[in-house]
Amino acid sequence: MIVEILIFGTVQGALLALLSLGFSLVYGVGGLLNLAHGAFFLITAYVIHWMIIFFGFGFWIAAIISLAVVVGVSAVTYLGLMKPLQDSHIGIVLVTFALAFFFEQLVRFYSSQTYYIVPPVPGTINFFGVNFPAQLLALMIGSAILVTLVTLFISKSKIGKTIRAVSQDMEAAKLVGINTDMVLMTSVMISALLVGFAAVLYAPGNFIAPRIGWGYLLLAFAVTIFGGMGSIPGSILGAFIMGYASSFTDYVISPSLSPIIPLVVILVMLLLRPQGLLGKKELL
Amino acid sequence: MASLSIDLISMVNRFRVWALTFRGSITLFCLLGLLLVPLTGNEYLTTIIITSMILAIFAASWDLLAGFAGQVSFGHSAFFGIAGYVTAAFVRFLGHHWVIALLAGAGMAVVFSLLIGIPCLRLKGPYLALGTLAFSLVLYRLFLTGTWLGGTEGISGLPRAENPYLVFYAIAGFMVVSLVAMRAIADSRLGTVMKAIRDDELCADASGINTTVYKLLAFMISGFFAGIAGAIFVLDTTAVNPAIYQPLYSFYAIIMASIGGIATIYGSIIGAFLFIILSEVLRPLAAAALLIFAALLILIIRFAEEGVMNPVLEKVQELYDKIRGR
Repeated sequence: MIVEILIFGTVQGALLALLSLGFSLVYGVGGLLNLAHGAFFLITAYVIHWMIIFFGFGFWIAAIISLAVVVGVSAVTYLGLMKPLQDSHIGIVLVTFALAFFFEQLVRFYSSQTYYIVPPVPGTINFFGVNFPAQLLALMIGSAILVTLVTLFISKSKIGKTIRAVSQDMEAAKLVGINTDMVLMTSVMISALLVGFAAVLYAPGNFIAPRIGWGYLLLAFAVTIFGGMGSIPGSILGAFIMGYASSFTDYVISPSLSPIIPLVVILVMLLLRPQGLLGKKELL
Repeated sequence: MASLSIDLISMVNRFRVWALTFRGSITLFCLLGLLLVPLTGNEYLTTIIITSMILAIFAASWDLLAGFAGQVSFGHSAFFGIAGYVTAAFVRFLGHHWVIALLAGAGMAVVFSLLIGIPCLRLKGPYLALGTLAFSLVLYRLFLTGTWLGGTEGISGLPRAENPYLVFYAIAGFMVVSLVAMRAIADSRLGTVMKAIRDDELCADASGINTTVYKLLAFMISGFFAGIAGAIFVLDTTAVNPAIYQPLYSFYAIIMASIGGIATIYGSIIGAFLFIILSEVLRPLAAAALLIFAALLILIIRFAEEGVMNPVLEKVQELYDKIRGR
């Protein structure tokens, strides 16, 4: 029981970290609330599916193409839709919502049923008497590598420094000659890459349908609020706490309650500590 | 008594002056066109217009809260849904008249707006939006997994009104009265206070406005009108299920209000009619319909930041003035 909770909690946490890191990054840097975040997951999963079905590519080639597609789409989204509406927060929310709706309908137009992508990593692994698909191990390892890389990129590299500068004070960053539009676009692209990897690693072995984007968006939302909007360590920590909490609920309390637990956690968190676990206290 | 009649005369005069202005005449013209719709005998058209009118009330209630008081809510479907459920329960299980049920539903929505408003008042901006979203999602899950009030199936089989004309005119009346009332609130002293809170909460606080009370008041008024919309919606469709709490409905309201123009109230009518009629016109295209609809939606939001109503009206007025040679 404890081993199961730990394993599946880690899996959930790894997935949630990939989903929420980018979401939180984009919000933290530019104050952009990207409701199309879940749609990025959706299109990555479906591009993989289409590449395999229509063109007969192998899984990994399809995965690389789909990641390129999703990063390209995110760059176009930023330039075409988010940048012109940057001044109004509600405008960003509306346009990304409409975009997510558009992607859902686009996917539904071509393949409206539910599909199953065969996991590229076959077999099961036995860990202290618990069997689980090897694909999930790939998810855990992939997530750990990516999260480490992105964290290092943001804390060490020069672009990462500009990202942090913009997130602290956009005006001041502009004054010292940072191209803030470029920085925002980079962070949107990083976020799309992360959510794309989440789709590459988690969608195979699960069913995909046009509506799945909203569920992943909600998860990213939940973790980001829990960990603190715009805080990268906060969203990683929040992801794993939320992951263990939901697998604990699954095994100990009741699986039917587990979808409601994250929502209750969000509400309690918002009421007691609106800035989240590690979030910055916002000034009035 | 004398002063009352003078008031009445001055009101009539003001109405006449307003009706002769550009906006007034267009409004009256559109209203007249709206009232003629059921006389065409086209049942399909009538149904669409009824849906548009109900959603116009709903969108306007969101606009009052977000556009004037600056409290952006993503969970407006909570008010819509709870009023719908209470109304359905009153009619179906307790056998009350629909007017009582409607008032009970709207009253319940006000209670819920307090329940949601009081804890969410500490939150600002996106946090408030997400907090209200979470509330509506919790309600959605509770009604989906719970067994009360019909569980997953919801409540269905509400009595249907026999006279379709009566239904149409009653709903049109509700829409006109609700929107005029909301606009009057927005233009009153209360509306000014709400705008002050929206523009600078700290400053409003410093000038002696009890922001907590006024924000709660804005929540209650908005919840009341959203509740009316929800109750009418359920009475019209004669059924309700947990899907009414979906965030989709909240987003419909937001989209309609912003298509029409935020902080205009009347813009919501334009937004709702445009949204519903567009989605119906595209329906024959089957699978591609929603795709085109979503693309149009992106374009409208992207290029019409102020909404559609005011810019279009200004353009038409310029044209009209040119024709008259002014």
